[in-house]
Amino acid sequence: MTSSPAPARPERRARQGTRSGAHPGPRPRLLGPGALVALAIVVALLSLAAVAVRGANKPLSRAEQAQQIAAELRCPVCQDLSAADSPAPLARQMRQQISEGLAAGDSPAAIEDRFVAAYGETVLLRPPSSGPGRLAYAVPLLALVGAVAAGAATLRVWRRRSTQPVPERAPLAAGDRSRVEAALDRWSEEE
Amino acid sequence: MSRTGRRAALLSVVVVAVLGIVALLASGLAHDPKAIASPLVGRAAPDFRLEGIHGSPVQLSHLKGQVVVVNFWASWCAECRTEQQALNQTWSDFRDSGVVVLGVNFQDQRADAEAYLASSAVTYPNVEDTESRTALAYGLRGVPETFVVDRDGHIVDRVIGPVDAGRLGATLNTLTHRGTP
Repeated sequence: MTSSPAPARPERRARQGTRSGAHPGPRPRLLGPGALVALAIVVALLSLAAVAVRGANKPLSRAEQAQQIAAELRCPVCQDLSAADSPAPLARQMRQQISEGLAAGDSPAAIEDRFVAAYGETVLLRPPSSGPGRLAYAVPLLALVGAVAAGAATLRVWRRRSTQPVPERAPLAAGDRSRVEAALDRWSEEE
Repeated sequence: MSRTGRRAALLSVVVVAVLGIVALLASGLAHDPKAIASPLVGRAAPDFRLEGIHGSPVQLSHLKGQVVVVNFWASWCAECRTEQQALNQTWSDFRDSGVVVLGVNFQDQRADAEAYLASSAVTYPNVEDTESRTALAYGLRGVPETFVVDRDGHIVDRVIGPVDAGRLGATLNTLTHRGTP
């Protein structure tokens, strides 16, 4: 064993700390909370850019348009099936009327309006824009606002914790200090 | 806010959310699925011209000035048989008071419809909605379904399922301004 000069006290303390298995102090983080948020925003923006670069969808054929409109309408004689998916004769007739409407130059909105005029908004598979149905639009928005608020609050707590100074330990009593120093001296002599 | 305060706030939010969901489910269970409001009630009845099963074509707008009971039915529909007597009775009671009962056959075979009419002693006019265009215009959700059209051509009542002779009679009495038949 090579002998080495006794280390200065603070170094001894550090070695002692490591030997006893106590936490050596705050570990450096790979990414702080701010960096994580920034990374999430960058990923979201890149995803949006990827969708934007793909360009506008090509115009739909009349049959595809009819299928799209029928998919938004409920088959009135079925249980939770769209007019596009239902094999019922009434749904078939709905698809026929949609195709005829498009051929006549009607807009998809005008075609939908005709079914709404006869059946009410319940014929639409998307939630109604009035009455309690508005909850279906409001709840995700409220959840998003709540999540953003919760995220912001968590970030603030993290930031406050990371900037708070580590509390000083209470000074050792004179008797304890002398015992610790004696133990450290014995230990360095053994090494 | 203290930890206890935060816990109480979180618990309150959870309780309110659970109560809201329970209230929503309860209101759904209390709702009669057959009581679907028709946006057509109070509006002009969609006009149609359909081929008669036994007679000449019928155009609704040509019946303006009379009260019309438009009844959608099919020979394969069990509930249509349930209400048949009430419809026959209504026709018999009100035909001289300016009321027309008009049967609209829905998604049926011609021969089956004719056999049904013969076996049910139906004497009021019946037409065939071969392409279900009229059914769609009236927002039909199944058969039987009945619409009452007033003298001005406006829909004043809609019945999903078998008609009740008493309710139909009361409506027609009001519309024809006559007393109890």
